[in-house]
Amino acid sequence: METNRYDVVVVGAGLSGLVAAGVAAHRKLKVALVATGAGSFVTGPAWLTAREIRQASTTADLGEAIDFFCEIATLAGCPYTGDITTARFLPSILGDFHSVALTPLTLWNAEPRKGVTTAIVGIRGLSSFDENFMAERLTEQARLIASGCAYTARQISLSRNMGVPVTTLRVAQCFDRDPVFREELTSALRAAASGFERILIPGILGLETSAEQIAQFERELGCQVSEIPTLPPSIPGLRVYHHLESYLHKIGVELYRGFPANKVEIQDGLCMGLQIASPGHPLNLRCRSAVLATGRSSTNPLGLEYAGCDQQMRPLNSTGSVITRNLFVAGPLPHSSDGDHGNAMRILTGYRAGSLAASTRGNHAA
Amino acid sequence: MRLDNLALDNCLKCSLCNTACPVMAVHTQYPGPKRLGPELERMRREGLSTDTEWVEYCLGCHRCDLACPHQVHVSEMIARAKAEHRKPLIHGLRDWWFARPGLLGRLTTILPALSNFALSLKPARYLMSKLMRITPQRKFPGYTRPNLRSPAISGKQMQHVIFFPGCFIRYNRPDLGKVVIGLLERNGLAVEVASTVCCGVPAIANGAAAEARAVARANINVLDRQAGSGMRIVTACSSCGHMLKTGFGGILEDDGRFAGEAQKIASRTFDLAELLMEQSDAGKLNTNFQPANLRLAYHAPCHQRSQGIGRPWYHLLRMIPGVAVEDLDAGCCGMSGTYGFKQEKYTVSMDIGKELFTKISAARPQMVATECATCQMQIEHGTTFKAIHPAEILLQAYDERHSG
Repeated sequence: METNRYDVVVVGAGLSGLVAAGVAAHRKLKVALVATGAGSFVTGPAWLTAREIRQASTTADLGEAIDFFCEIATLAGCPYTGDITTARFLPSILGDFHSVALTPLTLWNAEPRKGVTTAIVGIRGLSSFDENFMAERLTEQARLIASGCAYTARQISLSRNMGVPVTTLRVAQCFDRDPVFREELTSALRAAASGFERILIPGILGLETSAEQIAQFERELGCQVSEIPTLPPSIPGLRVYHHLESYLHKIGVELYRGFPANKVEIQDGLCMGLQIASPGHPLNLRCRSAVLATGRSSTNPLGLEYAGCDQQMRPLNSTGSVITRNLFVAGPLPHSSDGDHGNAMRILTGYRAGSLAASTRGNHAA
Repeated sequence: MRLDNLALDNCLKCSLCNTACPVMAVHTQYPGPKRLGPELERMRREGLSTDTEWVEYCLGCHRCDLACPHQVHVSEMIARAKAEHRKPLIHGLRDWWFARPGLLGRLTTILPALSNFALSLKPARYLMSKLMRITPQRKFPGYTRPNLRSPAISGKQMQHVIFFPGCFIRYNRPDLGKVVIGLLERNGLAVEVASTVCCGVPAIANGAAAEARAVARANINVLDRQAGSGMRIVTACSSCGHMLKTGFGGILEDDGRFAGEAQKIASRTFDLAELLMEQSDAGKLNTNFQPANLRLAYHAPCHQRSQGIGRPWYHLLRMIPGVAVEDLDAGCCGMSGTYGFKQEKYTVSMDIGKELFTKISAARPQMVATECATCQMQIEHGTTFKAIHPAEILLQAYDERHSG
C-alpha cells in the first residue's frame, strides 16, 4: 500500500541503470527508477564493440549479463543480433569500420560483403551525413581489410519541408507519425536502390518503430536496408532507450523522471532511502537496497565521500571502508580511471549491481 | 529568471530536449526547445535581436526540462522569449484575455446563465473566431456562480490545511472544489479555502509577464495572511500546483521579499493526491472504500509530471477495490490551457493529442481520469470518452450509494 516504499531504487537511466532496474523487476520486486534525462547511451550507436567485449570478458558473468540484456531488448521490441564470440565490421558516418559484436538488428547488415552491390543513400539537406565522402572512404577501407566491397553514393530528395537544417530526429519523427511521408520515403529509396542488392541509410527509421515494422519496411523496399548511426541524438540509440523505458514501465517499474536524487539516507551502514530534489519540497523514497548508476558527469548523491567501490560493488570512502552495505554502484562509477569502458561494461555492472540489490534485504521489515 | 543564472551554460546542445518536445514531433517547421530556449537566450544576453513567432508555439509542458540531463530550465527561457515577443494586434488582444482567466471568470459569472448562453451561440463563436482568432471548433467550459466557501470547522483536534482552488474550480466547477474539501475532511483534515486569485500559469503562457508577477504577489500576500502559521497548501489543479511549487515559475526570483516568500510557499504546497498518499504512507489514509466495478484509463497531465511526485492519483485509484486502472503514458494531450483555443494552433493541438486519443480508444475504458481540467476538455473533444477528475471517483468510493 505504501507507495514511496520500494524493494530496489535505481538512480540513473543510462544503460546500466536500465539493466539493473530490469534485473530487479524480473525478480518480481517493486522497483523505482530515478533519472534526469536519458544518460549517454542514447547519444551513441547502441552497439557493443569487440574491444569492449574483450575488456569485459575477464569476468565469468559477462555472457549471463549479455544474455539478460538481449532478453529484455527482445521483450521490449528492439532485438539485438550477434554474440560475444564473433564480430563484424560496421561502418560509421566518418567512413571507417568498427569491429562490432552485438548491435540492434537495423545496424547489423551493413558490413562489407564481397561482390554485393551496395549504395549509401543520403537525403538532400540532411545535416551531418555525407554519402559521397562515406562511399569513397568505405570503399578504400574495405579494400584495406581485404573484403573488396564497393560502395556507391546515391541521394534522394524529399518534398516535405523539414526546416533547416534537416536532422535525423526530424526525419525519424515524420517516419513515426506520417504514413504519407513513409510512402514517399519508401518510393524514393526504392528508386535509389534500383540496381543494388543492398542500401545503407542514415539512422532515420523512427523512434518508436518495432523490429516487425522495420522488417515490413524492408519488404516494401524490395532490398536489404541497414542504418548507419549518426551524430547525437543518434536515432538507433534513442530507439533502444525508448523501447527499454516503455518496457520497464509496462512491467511495473515506477519511473521518476526529471529530477536528481540528491541525497542518500544512511543509518548504521544501511541505505534507508533516497531523496529526490522535486520542486518545492523533496520527495523521499524508502528502499531495501539501491543501485547508483549516475555516471561520472552527474552529481553523485553520495557526495565527496565516494572514492570507489569494492569487489561486491559497494561504495567505499577514502579510507577504504564500506559506506553502505545495501547500495551498489554500476555504470562508469566503479571505474576510477578515465576512458570509455563502453556499453558491454555498462551492461555487466548494471546486471551485477541489479542482481546484488535484488538479493539484498537491506533495511525495513515488510 | 535571473540573468546571472549560469544554468544556461549547462546546455551542451545534446538535443535531448528536442526529442521530448510534443510540438516538434508534429510540426516539421517548429525549431524546437534547444533553439528557442538556450540558443536564443544566449543571443538575447548579448543584446542581439531574437524575436520569432515560433516561441508562441511552445506549450509550456516542461517536458524539455524533464528530459534535460543537466537541469537546464529550457521552457523558462522560452517563456522569457514569449514575454518579449511582439504579437500582431489581434493575437495580443485575445491573449490579454486568455492571460486573465480570473477577470474573465469574475465577469462571466455575474450572470453565468447569460454568459454560457452567449458563448454557446453559433454567431458568437463565429465572431470570436473572426475578431479574436479563437477556434470555433471548441466549446467553452460552462461558468457557474462562484459559491465555494470554507466549510464550518467541526473537530477541534483536526489538522488544518488551506485549499488553493484556482480559476477553473472557482468559476467553472465549484462542485469539484466541494469534492476536494470532502476528500480532505474524510481524511481528518479541516479545510479553509484560500481567497487567492489566478495562479499565473495562463499569464506566463500568454506572455503577460507583468500580470504573472502581479497575481503571484497578490497570492503570496493572501497565503501569507491565511496560512501564515506554516499551514499546508493543497492544490487539485496540476497547473496551479506546478506554479506554486516552482516558486511562482521563477518570475519573482529578483523580487526581494517575495522571492523568499515564494520559496516558503513552494515548500508547503502539496497536490491533493500527494497529500493523501503521504497520509497513506503514514497509515492515516481513510481506506474505507466501497467496492466499485470500474475500468479506468489514467492520463498524467504534463504539469503533474513536472511536479516530480510520481503518480499518486494512479496509485490512489488502484486502492479502490474493483477498480482497474490503465496508465495511458501517451505523452501530452496538446491542449495546454488556452493554447488549444487559439485558432492558428488548433491543428497542432489536435495533432499532438492523436497518440493519446488512439490509446484511449484502444483501452476502451468506462471513463478517463485526469486531474487537469483542460486535459479533460481535450480528451472529450478528441474522443467519445468521458474524462473526469480522479478526486470525484475517489470521493464516490467512500460513499456506498454512489458506488458502481
